[in-house]
Amino acid sequence: MFRDFGWQDLVPLAEGAWLTIQLCAVSGILGVIFGLVLGIARTSPSRIARWISTIYISCVRGIPVLVIIFFVFFGIPLLFPGLEPDKFSSAVIALTCFAAAYVAEIVRGSIEAVAKGQSEAADALGLNYWRKLRYVILPQAVKIMVPPGIGFLIGLVKDSSLVTVTGLLELTHAGNVVTNLTGDPIKTFLVVAAMYFVICYGISLLGRLYEKRTGVHVDPLKLPEPAGV
Amino acid sequence: MALYFGDLLPYSSLLLEGLWTALYITLVAMLAGSALGVLLYLGKVGARKPLSILCTCYIEAIRNTPLLVQLYLIYFGLPALGINLEPVLAALIGLTLNNAAYTAEIYRAGFESVPHGLREAGKALGMKPAQIVQYIVLLPATRNVFPALTNQLILLFLASSIGSIISLPELTNAIMSVSNTTYRTIEVLAVGGLLYLGVSALMSLASKRAETTLFRWAVGTHV
Repeated sequence: MFRDFGWQDLVPLAEGAWLTIQLCAVSGILGVIFGLVLGIARTSPSRIARWISTIYISCVRGIPVLVIIFFVFFGIPLLFPGLEPDKFSSAVIALTCFAAAYVAEIVRGSIEAVAKGQSEAADALGLNYWRKLRYVILPQAVKIMVPPGIGFLIGLVKDSSLVTVTGLLELTHAGNVVTNLTGDPIKTFLVVAAMYFVICYGISLLGRLYEKRTGVHVDPLKLPEPAGV
Repeated sequence: MALYFGDLLPYSSLLLEGLWTALYITLVAMLAGSALGVLLYLGKVGARKPLSILCTCYIEAIRNTPLLVQLYLIYFGLPALGINLEPVLAALIGLTLNNAAYTAEIYRAGFESVPHGLREAGKALGMKPAQIVQYIVLLPATRNVFPALTNQLILLFLASSIGSIISLPELTNAIMSVSNTTYRTIEVLAVGGLLYLGVSALMSLASKRAETTLFRWAVGTHV
């Protein structure tokens, strides 16, 4: 009934890994864009902007990613009849919603980590809020964001395994399919785990390279922890 | 579409039971995992090279692979070796093994952030290494570790939802089964999401409170 796990099984797994990379790249980029906006709003002088972003961030960070994925996957077609995003799009929407909140916390932490004197100096020079942000705060904050951002990206790759519940054929789901063909969950999921390891470890090596080049090292305990377990 | 929460009332006990299972799994995995994490940390920083390499490999392997894949290996992989596990036991083992790697890294970061000058001062006073740890390093390190550990507890609670995929009857599993019987998908997801949100907010409040009372002596110091 089953055939042995063989070289040919690496093909669907590699295709799954490629989809996982695409998924994380798209939702990672979108998450960074929305996360920057949310994180700036979180530290802005406008009370309404602060309120809205704080509520969004705390809600998303207090709910499991899996529940967010279910909410997007089942909720969007119910809330917006006629709108039926395909599996890849709903996975991107769910992971982007989730990523934006965590990136926003990293952005907030980094903006607050820029020395206070910098902001005061910009005020003393008469720069308005947006100019202060654009020319003084953000250029320094971005350097601080990168190490925790890399940690978060690794978390995103791991959490993307959860979209397997929607039936999208990413790496973990490809592992399920191969297991059903070969009846060998151990070999299959060890290969799956090894593929995740290569992706995640590759990203963390990039982070280490960045730290070496710039000398920027941020205490992981002082900033919001990277998401994902 | 109109939202209607009334259909959920008969299932409230199912949801609360799910929440209870999630909490129970989280607490047991946190306690067991953070104890195992101490051993991993000691093994990693210890003088024995092979053990240190082994612990480092374990920590990196766990931290660079998804929890879901780890759970699959335990829940689907072990039966292939003749070891059958209930979902509860599989989830407990998986979350514990996973949590141990993360807490080991938390201990490492916490101890490394204690300034080196403190150890040198202890050495200058003629203290033995064990005394330096016990009387000088342990307390500030604990203060550094505590917020990260409570944060890890919240992350673990949220991660326990992944157990639903291996049919652990916790909150997310209860949410999906209520959704399948009542077709009130949005409503039950909203209620379930609020339950998660409420509990994680309570955990975060309690840990902030505990931090200020337990480490009152450290207010204003930057160790």
